[in-house]
Amino acid sequence: MSWVALALLGGVVGLDATSFPQIMISRPIVAATLAGLVVGHPGLGFSFGVVLEAFHLAILPIGAARYPEAGTAAAAGAFALVAARTGVGAAPLLITLGFALVWGRVAAASVEAARHASERVVRAAEPGMGPAGVEIRHMAAMAIDFCRGGVITVTGAALGWLLLRVLVAGSPPHPVIAQGALVVLLCGAAAGALTVFGGMSERKASFVAGAIVGTLIAVFA
Amino acid sequence: MTVNGLIRSRVFLRSFAIQGSWNYRTLIGNGFAFALLPVLRALHRGDPVGLGRAVERHREIFNSHPYLVGVALGAVARLEMERADPGIVTRFKAALRGPLGSLGDRLVWAGWRPLCLIACLVAYYAGVHWAWVGFLFLVVYNIGHLALRCWGFRIGFDHGHEVGERLRRSPLAATQKPVARAGAFALGMLVPLLLARTAAGLPWPWWAAAAAAALLGVRLGNAIRAPLAIALAAFIVATFLFRGSGNG
Repeated sequence: MSWVALALLGGVVGLDATSFPQIMISRPIVAATLAGLVVGHPGLGFSFGVVLEAFHLAILPIGAARYPEAGTAAAAGAFALVAARTGVGAAPLLITLGFALVWGRVAAASVEAARHASERVVRAAEPGMGPAGVEIRHMAAMAIDFCRGGVITVTGAALGWLLLRVLVAGSPPHPVIAQGALVVLLCGAAAGALTVFGGMSERKASFVAGAIVGTLIAVFA
Repeated sequence: MTVNGLIRSRVFLRSFAIQGSWNYRTLIGNGFAFALLPVLRALHRGDPVGLGRAVERHREIFNSHPYLVGVALGAVARLEMERADPGIVTRFKAALRGPLGSLGDRLVWAGWRPLCLIACLVAYYAGVHWAWVGFLFLVVYNIGHLALRCWGFRIGFDHGHEVGERLRRSPLAATQKPVARAGAFALGMLVPLLLARTAAGLPWPWWAAAAAAALLGVRLGNAIRAPLAIALAAFIVATFLFRGSGNG
């Protein structure tokens, strides 16, 4: 039953990324939380979503740019992480992160294929076909995107689940290295997002001021 | 011929799905015709040939930021209502494409969205419960999102072919710098909070490595993604190579 719910969630997340309605259900922190909820552990889903989100902060969907699809990968990864029952440690999180980053690329290839399919669907509307033809073809393209999202999410979740069961469940990897690796990667990825706001040359004062305030909160709060 | 509020509402609602048939040939051209259809149907009632021609004109290549496409939809609805020459409408749409795309990209994708996300991550690492963080992100982000869509559609319909001038006088462009500054400030807050929360209990070399990674991230920007991917793969291998030594 939860796999069916995941497929529906994947469809909605896939649609939200580009087609409809772009209210950011497709951001990793939301998609992963919802996928975690499907298998009864939204908090763990959110924890994974936060990690993946840091890696996608600097990716901008500008023009016809090709970029990894974060939402379906986040949903697949979070579902696999919870369903594999490998615990809430850093090692499963790290391996799921690696898997989700790769799966985001696979999902991006599926987006491209769906866009080519949309092109064929739209082209098939011959001139003079009338408004109903335009509407039907538009809805058909959205249906393709929905199905694509569902299939890519469920496939990703199944592969991620298998990976975690094989790699982590039997003999867990080194927990300290995994935790340290997550910290290093998160700090690097998050700081890299400064480029979105103009980079260090333009935003040095704001970034440094924020770092001072953040340090004070971390020390005294 | 007028277009009443109900028809305008239908166009506005359809604008949420304007990218539904996004493709490499006409971009959101088909979606534009799809969203404008309620207006075209009202204006060409009893004239299927005229309606078909109008639909074909609007299926041609078009692109815009999805949140600002309402500006174009509203303005084109007004022009169609005023029975403007089809050539003028086509040229008008072509003139709007670039500005609406670049303004939306800078304002939303490179401004409002990362600012909201980073602020939520700061809240999470500062100790706010995850459920509130996720909820607040969706609510706060979408207040800005919906406000922008509503405003864009309204000024498009109210100003018609003069909407470009109205856009130039809007405060949108002026908000980009403060949003970018706020985003950089929030990002500055995020890094030490993230480090303090996630590195607790780790030996100091990990703290030093994380600080070095942050400095490298600031310096390289988006180009840090490739080194991070390599580091991630190396770390995963290392966790397995040393699996026996860390599990008590």
